[in-house]
Amino acid sequence: MDRRLSRRGALAIAAAGIAGCLDGSDAGTGVYDGNGEGNASAAEEMTATPDEDSIANSPVPIRDEQLPVEYGLESLREAVVRGVVPRDAIPSIDDPEFEPIDDVGDRIRDDDPVFGVRRGTDAKAYPQAILVHHEIVNDEVGGDPVAVTYCPLTGTAMGFDRGETTFGVSGHLLNSNLVMYDRASETYWPQMLATAIEGDLEAASLVEFPVVWTTWERWRSAHPDSVVLTEETGYARDYDADPYGSYNPVTGYYGEDSDWMFDPLEADDGRPPKEVLLCSRPADGPLAVSLEALRERGVYGIDRGDRDYLAAYDSELDVGYLYRTDDAEAFGADDGTVIGPDGERHDPGELLLEAVYAYDAMWFAWRGFYPSTSVHD
Amino acid sequence: MTESGLRNATWRRLHETAAASLFALGRTDGLVVAIVTGTGYLLGFLWATNSLSARFGAGFGWRLVDDPFARALERRGPTSFEPVAVVDAGIATVLLGPVDLAIGFGLSALVALNVSLAYLALVQPSSCGVGAGMGMAAAVPALLSGSVCCVPVVLLVLGIQASAALLTVLPWLLPLGAALLVASLVFVAGKVDPGNGL
Repeated sequence: MDRRLSRRGALAIAAAGIAGCLDGSDAGTGVYDGNGEGNASAAEEMTATPDEDSIANSPVPIRDEQLPVEYGLESLREAVVRGVVPRDAIPSIDDPEFEPIDDVGDRIRDDDPVFGVRRGTDAKAYPQAILVHHEIVNDEVGGDPVAVTYCPLTGTAMGFDRGETTFGVSGHLLNSNLVMYDRASETYWPQMLATAIEGDLEAASLVEFPVVWTTWERWRSAHPDSVVLTEETGYARDYDADPYGSYNPVTGYYGEDSDWMFDPLEADDGRPPKEVLLCSRPADGPLAVSLEALRERGVYGIDRGDRDYLAAYDSELDVGYLYRTDDAEAFGADDGTVIGPDGERHDPGELLLEAVYAYDAMWFAWRGFYPSTSVHD
Repeated sequence: MTESGLRNATWRRLHETAAASLFALGRTDGLVVAIVTGTGYLLGFLWATNSLSARFGAGFGWRLVDDPFARALERRGPTSFEPVAVVDAGIATVLLGPVDLAIGFGLSALVALNVSLAYLALVQPSSCGVGAGMGMAAAVPALLSGSVCCVPVVLLVLGIQASAALLTVLPWLLPLGAALLVASLVFVAGKVDPGNGL
């Protein structure tokens, strides 16, 4: 982990600060960081490749390129905590019902967390209070069959294309993370890895799409045309009670300094275990950006040698986005917008750069799966 | 002891247990003790199984799932089944699952009889070696067994981390607790003399 500013970063801040003095604006400084010290090299990376026939006949859409996994499949299988609950004892929602924002009333409080998905012309919100009891919603968004998934123990919300099948909760945990299974091939997919560890499709990776973790007030302000998942899930649950704690206000298991429940694959005591970071695992090595730093600076550049990464903060939704670019140093931030090399302002979520899949995760869980992560804060 | 002798002794002890239980419930003080402890244990069981949460301002209302008969038989743990209704009762929200409720009532009845008989044994001058804590101690595994529907929750409640051994033991807590409660009841019943009308 590298908490220091690189020289280029310091210069960028100084330059932006001078520019701010000159034009009287409160332009965000941004920061440009080196690659940091990866915490560790993974002892044993996954070398397995998926079976081509299985992929050809897969009921689940499979990514063209395998996602990075920093452990061998056998050691991951051995680390699975099996039967924490029976399969489907945490039932996925397979027939979700939605209502317009205007019909929600006081069912959801302004600061309650929701998971938002925008796909095509559809915008849908999935309240955390419901997903904590179900973890998977097999849905259709923008006309596509998808699974919106949430693991309360790792604080991760992720979306996957599901094709002709549905996903269920296996009842197993890996590194505290939800292990899903697809009901067609019965392959086991840890959510955060998005790569199968057991079954016909093992070593294959799912097609992911971003799920925005924000608050109800922010989501409905940004997407007034959105619909919201109702409590008509087909199951009797107390959706006002979160068995693990609360995000509004933050208490219990979700507290930043609270301990994990299941030992991670690799432990690290350098940061609060439940600190939430914007995490990604591109092919040239995993990285994690402090959300606190991103909020403060608006943009955060990461120097990876040949290519840079740029994290951009969306103050409307309080989320971060990650992009790949040739020169992250050329970007700045001002008043909730990103200022490009040409001086033009852009929406942080819609930069004309190559988007890189990234999601919020609790630090202990991310570090467990990706020990070689470079941390930027 | 021969096989028939063992069978006779077992029947005799069960008969004594039934007689002592009826005797305990026939007395006002014994009945009150049974009702109080049984109700308390049932509430504790529902709380431990995540079926009861106290909350001011819960409102009033109820919701029944579609096809409740099929849903009621879906497992959500080794000894736990799906609830079919949510009831908001002003200060609490209760999930009603027929099978879990039946298990809860059965365990609560065993606990209530245990404590009621232990109470009577204590107030009878002729009894000895019986403590009210015995029935309650036997009740603990069954209470914890409620957690098997949601292992992480009980780990949070107990403030402990999971281990393979603990996860292996949890599904056995309910049958273990029930067996301990029956054994305790039979033992305590032998210490009470229904003929001694205190």
